Amino acid sequence: MVLNVAETVGAERELAAIVGPANCIVDPSELRTYECDGLTGTRVRPLAVVLPASTEEVAEVVKVARRHDLPIVPRGAGTGLSGGALPAVGSIVVGLARMNRILEVDFENQRVRLQPGVINLDVTAAIAARGYYYAPDPSSQSVCSIGGNIAENSGGAHCLKYGFTTNHVTAATIVTAEGEIVRLGSPFADALGYDLMAALVGSEGLIGIVTEAWVRILRAPETTRTFFATFPTTTEAASCVSGIVSAGIVPAAIEMMDRLAIEAIVKSTGVDWPLDVGAALLVDVDGPTVEAEHTLERSVEIARASGSLEVRMPRDERERMLMWKGRKSAFAAMGRISPNYYVQDGVIPRSEIGTVLREIAELCAREGFRVANVFHAGDGNLHPLVLYDARVPGQTEHAEEVAAEILRICLRHGGSITGEHGVGADKAQYMGEAFGENDLDAMNAVRCAFDSRRLFNPGKVFPTPRICGDRPGAYVPHATELSERAGRG
Amino acid sequence: MIEAFAADTVVPKTLDEASATMREGARSGTTVAFLGGGTEFGYGRLPDRVGTLLKTEKLDRVVDYAPADMTITVEAGVTLAAMQRTLAVNKQRLALDAPQPERATLGGLLAANTYGPLRTRYGTLRDLIVGIEMIRADGSRARGGGKVVKNVAGFDLPKLLVGSLGTLACIATATFRLHPLPEERRWFAVSGRTLEEVRIVCRAIVDRQIEPAALIAGYDGDSYTLYALFEGFGAGVAAQGMKFAALAAELFVTEARALEEAGEAAARDAQTRAFGSVRLRISTPPAFLPLLERGVLVPLRAAFEDFRLVLYPSLGIVFLSGFPRDPSAFVLEVERARTRVESGGGHLVLLECADPVAHGRIDPFGTPPDSFPIMQRLKERFDPDRRLNPGRFVGGL
Repeated sequence: MVLNVAETVGAERELAAIVGPANCIVDPSELRTYECDGLTGTRVRPLAVVLPASTEEVAEVVKVARRHDLPIVPRGAGTGLSGGALPAVGSIVVGLARMNRILEVDFENQRVRLQPGVINLDVTAAIAARGYYYAPDPSSQSVCSIGGNIAENSGGAHCLKYGFTTNHVTAATIVTAEGEIVRLGSPFADALGYDLMAALVGSEGLIGIVTEAWVRILRAPETTRTFFATFPTTTEAASCVSGIVSAGIVPAAIEMMDRLAIEAIVKSTGVDWPLDVGAALLVDVDGPTVEAEHTLERSVEIARASGSLEVRMPRDERERMLMWKGRKSAFAAMGRISPNYYVQDGVIPRSEIGTVLREIAELCAREGFRVANVFHAGDGNLHPLVLYDARVPGQTEHAEEVAAEILRICLRHGGSITGEHGVGADKAQYMGEAFGENDLDAMNAVRCAFDSRRLFNPGKVFPTPRICGDRPGAYVPHATELSERAGRG
Repeated sequence: MIEAFAADTVVPKTLDEASATMREGARSGTTVAFLGGGTEFGYGRLPDRVGTLLKTEKLDRVVDYAPADMTITVEAGVTLAAMQRTLAVNKQRLALDAPQPERATLGGLLAANTYGPLRTRYGTLRDLIVGIEMIRADGSRARGGGKVVKNVAGFDLPKLLVGSLGTLACIATATFRLHPLPEERRWFAVSGRTLEEVRIVCRAIVDRQIEPAALIAGYDGDSYTLYALFEGFGAGVAAQGMKFAALAAELFVTEARALEEAGEAAARDAQTRAFGSVRLRISTPPAFLPLLERGVLVPLRAAFEDFRLVLYPSLGIVFLSGFPRDPSAFVLEVERARTRVESGGGHLVLLECADPVAHGRIDPFGTPPDSFPIMQRLKERFDPDRRLNPGRFVGGL
């Protein structure tokens, strides 16, 4: 089926009738805002953007899309870094920003029920007065939404000890590609049957639109202690990370920054970190006071034994927050040292950090790029930022190639192509290097159980088109693809 | 006896042999069930008879253990105890204290999502698994996740298979994140409490930022005893124990006892799960637990001749096992309890029913959830010919 102008207008009119004309964006200049997410290099203009206010509206929107055979791209706050919310050609973007209410706080059972547009940090803000918090803390937590976090299975610095989004979201209401409203999981105890929350969290918008969720909330630990240690090179910093972990300590976070990252952060935030060091670690330990003090002492000893140049401890909470602000603003700070950067999110076994960082440095030197590293060292989740200048012809493509090679290095060391940013549109092409055909078929089986028509977020995650037939067979292009209205995937 | 229900029993020695068995099953249209240590073999509505019983006992290799990365990959037939012994050499462990570790295999534990008291802090295997290799219904092998502890590449197949009771695929290998073996662990107990009081202690523990690794409560026929486990470095464990004792003294004017035998409380939990001809589990919002006492737990207990009861008060889980007094009355009582529990947002699952009279008269799982049609489609995608443990899981999946 090829959509003609009359039908397009018809679809738009139906959408506007559901969400109200003010919340159905079709004006090309207004659509520009939605052409990309945090992966700004790739832009596609959707057919329309709708901003529903309720689960029912989302379901009605999906039914319209289904009727007109238009792909749907769910969108949270649009801060994702892998193009997960990049519109498909001719798609309807469903933005959940208006569904941003916290619906229920249940301290007794330690749960919060909320809408997907709630900003991550606002969950904690709503419960902090009683001493509780929501654990997953992506660096973008002041702007990213819980719905987006669920789609990407977002991590963050403190996931080392406390787990990822998938460990903290226990139930969700979703709208399926059929337009049905279905509850998955169970707010409190174990759910019956297959663990569909496992399928949902991290599915990158391919299997359902989350319109409500239950999340676990935790009591803040009695004590959190932080230290910042500098090292001559990343090798000593990496050995400190290994030393702490093999001493039986589970820190709340261990973040590493290399020289270039420190330079960018200092220039951007004004923290007084030394510039003449090769690497720094920012470490949090927490828990009951006696335990936290003990692990702090041991960790600092290990840092010194690993060859640290200096160990600093914040004098008060304000200074501690400043250190963390420095770390969390690292990506934004890159603008101070480079016009553009391309960030990767590969993961490697923790013991390989030193080796892999050296390989990355060699690769970038060989190819003529500077690379900054700021990452979650405790779980081996690298964030190499390949610095480049888009104004130089060919450099963007070249930087992308180098970034791709970094992923291959991670894979060679037994790692993964993404630890928390997601595959999205950006890394779909590398999924075939990370997984075999059988693996992808199994994942596709999950997708097909939810969305056999591949209406949701086409072109993401899967490297090559996969159908939902009973048995794998030759690929049959969809009508919207033949007409080049829709991407594939 | 278990073997009697299968026309053929296969004990593959390698994953390739296991794949070949699955492939052959697909070719001939044979139904297949899987057997690890058999500790959860009574769980679910086991088919009356299957064509092939695939036993994983010879798939007992540690594929890869990386102490520095704190991950391990094992074949499905490795027992929990054997794996913990391997890990203990490097002062590490899988943070799972499931019952009967000498018998229970990782494959079986994953399929049934079995757990012990450490769930209080560490969650279930779903929270510890990072990678899986499965043998699909057609004999092909597929992987999900990987061997790093943080990974969002592709759908989360490892977690999806946890608790799927052998109805989606055969688990071949699994990779887990590990935790350090604590330097010290100490159990404390507060006795003579009501369920209401047990919950009050749980709330106070959270309020005062005490962090037990495990919290379980046992019932001795008259009142509840709450057991708290503290783990970590020596000084921290001592300090937490003192804080817990002070809390008990303040609330009930009674001292919390430190238990000499560290394993006492855990043993009590394990014993519950191996006891009796019928085992059941109730899951409910934790705050709802005290409300269950009169309407659900008292009549259920009365329906048993002899029983064991352990609950996880911070998680809202009750394990009850024993010998039914009058099987027909017992069936009615379970149905009544299930209705009440479900109306409170929880559920009641029959983990095992070896009582010849009650057997088959109680649905092991109760009302299928809202999302059941999606589960059916998932089953259809993974096992289109319905040959893997057919009908065993929720709603006949």
